[in-house]
Amino acid sequence: MDSPSDAEAIGRSLDEPEAFGLLYDRHAATVLRFLGRRVGADAAEALLGELFRIAFERRKTFDAARETALPWLYGIGSNLLLKHRRAEARRLRASARMAAADHAADRRTSAAASDARVLFPRVADAIDSLPDAERAALLLFAWEELPYESVAEALELPIGTVRSRLNRARARLRELLEPNGKGRDISR
Amino acid sequence: MKPVDLAKKLRREAAFEPAVLDRGKAALMAAIRQEVQPRRRPTIIPRLPYENVGAALSFLERAFGFREVAAARGVRADGAIDYTMVEFGDGMIGLGAQGAHGAFSPKRAGTASQYITVHVDDIDAHHQRAVASGAEVVSRLHDHLRDYRVYEALDPEGHRWRFLQWLREVPQSERR
Repeated sequence: MDSPSDAEAIGRSLDEPEAFGLLYDRHAATVLRFLGRRVGADAAEALLGELFRIAFERRKTFDAARETALPWLYGIGSNLLLKHRRAEARRLRASARMAAADHAADRRTSAAASDARVLFPRVADAIDSLPDAERAALLLFAWEELPYESVAEALELPIGTVRSRLNRARARLRELLEPNGKGRDISR
Repeated sequence: MKPVDLAKKLRREAAFEPAVLDRGKAALMAAIRQEVQPRRRPTIIPRLPYENVGAALSFLERAFGFREVAAARGVRADGAIDYTMVEFGDGMIGLGAQGAHGAFSPKRAGTASQYITVHVDDIDAHHQRAVASGAEVVSRLHDHLRDYRVYEALDPEGHRWRFLQWLREVPQSERR
């Protein structure tokens, strides 16, 4: 077979462990970018190694009916990221400052600039203060652009739960972005 | 702007050194190779003949705390275990069906021609477990010259096992 599926490669790695290297060749770059967006380059490099070693140890539990192992790897990564909340919060705040600066440069109006300087840090705080499970689902959806099915696979949840979790995350963001509580009245 | 779109504005790529992926691959493959490296096997492995290898195996695991080396198991057409190996500490012993290689179980031969010494960390706990599992103790647990604490027991087919724990620090070279 020229190009085995992820499931076939994992199956083969049960007898020939080095066959697991194919999973790395295929997905490491994607997974590394995901980790980098969340915690920055240095922490991401360390986590990448940990993630693939955990995946290797758990390879027996991979559901062979799945076409690609990527959501499974995102899931392991999402769990690992929980131990790096501080790095994640730091990066969010830095990203907020940069987004505000970009925004100001775009508009070149002092009103927009000051709005952005207020708005983006609030978005960062709002994301940071989401419950872990909602933040994980929201960022897989918004940053990694995974469809609901893949978020569900990654977090090992029924798709309905993913939907309600994302709705809760949206509602909470809206709420947190409206300091006076006006946000509660905005219709969906 | 919708909340998800605002969240998207904070998505920012991290800048990686180009070698990160290669380093990661090398580390992963090294970890995989180390993980699956078979334990170095001792250069001498005695093999004990049994009439019923399966029953002997389950007794040795239960009573003496040995662990089967699963990869070593050979099974006959009728499903019975033909041969296998057990390990304990850094030692290893094979169990095989009697008759092969001209060796017979003491149960059939009427006598054993050897006994086996096993060094353990907690002789009292080991003894207790063996007795509770039905091992026939043929030399009671006792201290020998303040050197070591020892007992001997038979397995169900009459192979004789001698378990001992040193009571003081003794260099490997002086042990017996």
